[in-house]
Amino acid sequence: MSTVSTKAAVRPGPTTERQAPAGRRRTRRERQWPAYVFLSPWMIGAVVLTLVPMAVSLYLSFTDYNLLDPPRWVGLRNYTDMLTNDPRYWRSVGTTLLYVVIAVPLKLAFALGVAVLLKNLNRGRAFYRSAFYAPSLLGASMSIALVWRALFNDGGSVTNVLDKVGIHTGSWIGSPHLAVYAVVLLTVWQFGAPMVIFLAGLQQISPDLYEAAALDGAGRWRQFVSITVPMLSPVVFFNLVLETIQSFQVFTPAFVISGGDGGPADSTLFYTLYLYERGFTASHMGYAAAMAWLLLIAIGVVTLILFRTSRSWVFYADEEGR
Amino acid sequence: MPEPRSGRRRLPRRRAVLAAAVVGLSTALTATLSACSAESGTASQGVTLTFTWWGNDDRAARTDEAVRLFEKEHPGVTVRTSNADFGSYLQKLATQAAGGDIPDVAQLDYRQISQYAGGGALMSLGKDIANKTIRTDEMDDELVRTGTYEGKQYALPMGRGITGYAYDSALYKKAGVPAPNPSWTWEDWADANKKIADLGLKAPDGVPVTGSNNGGDNEDVFEDWLRGRGKQLYDGQQRLGFTENDLTEFWTFLNKLRKEGAIATASDTAQADSTETSPLGRGHGAADYTWDATFPGYTTLLGDRIRFGPVPTTAGRPGQYFKPTMLIGVGAHTEHPKEAAELVDFLLNDRRAGDIMGFTRSTPPNRVIADRVAKTLKGPEHEIYQYSQMMESYGLDAPPSAPPRGDIAIQTAFKREYQRVIFELSTPREAARELINEAKRELTS
Repeated sequence: MSTVSTKAAVRPGPTTERQAPAGRRRTRRERQWPAYVFLSPWMIGAVVLTLVPMAVSLYLSFTDYNLLDPPRWVGLRNYTDMLTNDPRYWRSVGTTLLYVVIAVPLKLAFALGVAVLLKNLNRGRAFYRSAFYAPSLLGASMSIALVWRALFNDGGSVTNVLDKVGIHTGSWIGSPHLAVYAVVLLTVWQFGAPMVIFLAGLQQISPDLYEAAALDGAGRWRQFVSITVPMLSPVVFFNLVLETIQSFQVFTPAFVISGGDGGPADSTLFYTLYLYERGFTASHMGYAAAMAWLLLIAIGVVTLILFRTSRSWVFYADEEGR
Repeated sequence: MPEPRSGRRRLPRRRAVLAAAVVGLSTALTATLSACSAESGTASQGVTLTFTWWGNDDRAARTDEAVRLFEKEHPGVTVRTSNADFGSYLQKLATQAAGGDIPDVAQLDYRQISQYAGGGALMSLGKDIANKTIRTDEMDDELVRTGTYEGKQYALPMGRGITGYAYDSALYKKAGVPAPNPSWTWEDWADANKKIADLGLKAPDGVPVTGSNNGGDNEDVFEDWLRGRGKQLYDGQQRLGFTENDLTEFWTFLNKLRKEGAIATASDTAQADSTETSPLGRGHGAADYTWDATFPGYTTLLGDRIRFGPVPTTAGRPGQYFKPTMLIGVGAHTEHPKEAAELVDFLLNDRRAGDIMGFTRSTPPNRVIADRVAKTLKGPEHEIYQYSQMMESYGLDAPPSAPPRGDIAIQTAFKREYQRVIFELSTPREAARELINEAKRELTS
């Protein structure tokens, strides 16, 4: 792509562009401004609704602001407090990391597994695809999280069924050791979105490869490991980055399942939940803003690391022969 | 609106494009602007007030009825009401307050008074009280004082509430425990819990029945316990009124009872957030610390054997006090301070409004109205009225002034730190130390 355009620029010749008189150029430029007029609502929107709030949030992160009194400049205090003087901050970081490390691989494994099964399925494929995708559409809603809370609470279906088969967990919601896994399961249940992307990826893999491998005597598993996984690695990578970024920001399920306070005993105190609590319950908006900026930086760093490591395991078909 | 296409399509001329864009832009702008201004009311004649509160449907219906009566008597004044549940109400009000857009008249929580008054979101009511637009002569001075911040009156109580114990009188009888009287002590309470646990009863779902809910996660229980010892939660707006030792002792006492199986388990405590999910409500316990306003909910759920008794004392000294269940205040930016004050007075002092609203916000702060309405009370509502009469004659200390603004955060920290104790993630002393550190940060920031 880029080579083509350089050639075009270097190539000398009597193009209309070069020979165009100054007058025509002006017309061309003039003709662009209606576009900007039409674009302006969106450009104003981008500035007013995105850039300005971001700048304000950055400013607030250096202040003490309780929503009612004017913000008071405190320099780096919010950041230093957070990192050195707040055990709950680190608890929320720990909980979130634990969640990301467990939920993301589980969800992707499920998504890939089901996608592979669905690819070879001929009858009822559309039905299953929609059925598995539905939770992704519903999952972010309050109501599903409420249902989840009921399922995993004392007397809920899940705890009852587990009781029947002899596993006595008691309420998951009421236990600081299990509550976080109720949130993990809710996330894993929403594997539909990455599954659809995996399905699309699987269909891009040339059947020739499988035929050739089968002729060479490769079994199902061998084909999966040697053809599907490497050929699918760009899709895996895409899903991995997307899901990781999303998981760092998990909020609604934790908010509902814990009843809004990250309980019991802070076991579901995810980063964003703590951020919300600092900002809206305890009225420390400056602190919450500082937390948001550190989260942005952390997600940026993790994504960068993923991109760096991807070079060694993501395989793009067009790189062949390089 | 699709443009009808006829003949050759002509490119729009530049000026037309500009005009269209300007029109488009300005309609977009005016649309948003008018959306904003719709909030402030469009009544061309007279006055529109906004009035918001939290609470259940019954409270909403009765409050609305009282407001309609006010409108009838004040032609030209329209009151737009809205209500929500407690949690979302508080957050909405906080956001409105931040934008300087607090309703003209708003129901407030005790814990919000200092924050809102200090932040300039509430109007001082001193002038209206002085010129009798708002009358307070039929209310208890001590109760009225709960709405002050730095010596100025910013809100007035809408109801008077008190803590107590909802207990299963049948179980108490079975275990040979006498009915709680106003001078029973925390030791008596502990013994009662042990006796009930010793009965070895099982709830329908197989869980052993204990004597009571845990209470260690509830700042209100701690406050009653503390005041019984002559101390208090806060010493002014910047300092705690108790030490690490006090809190350690309280949590150790309760945690020991939990370990002995005398009071609710950790899991039951973590899951209790309403009458239905409380240990008593689920049949896992024989008693539940609660407020008078919520008590009738227990009898509805479990029947008449549930009675209302006093909170234990320390050597006969009670820590209970009459607390404003909720307060009412006027937004600092109201355009109609006079009408807002009149509405406040009407809701608090008008006899007919009092009859309509009854005990929906606990005992009305106006003594005359309370007596008047009490005559019509029956069943559990009558019981809590008698209970408050009994506690009044027993003699209670005056209520503290409104808690400092950090209290909202401290209250949730209290619950969390005690949960860490009962799930054995921390010892009572470690948890107490962490709570006090956090409280100090909240109070000084």
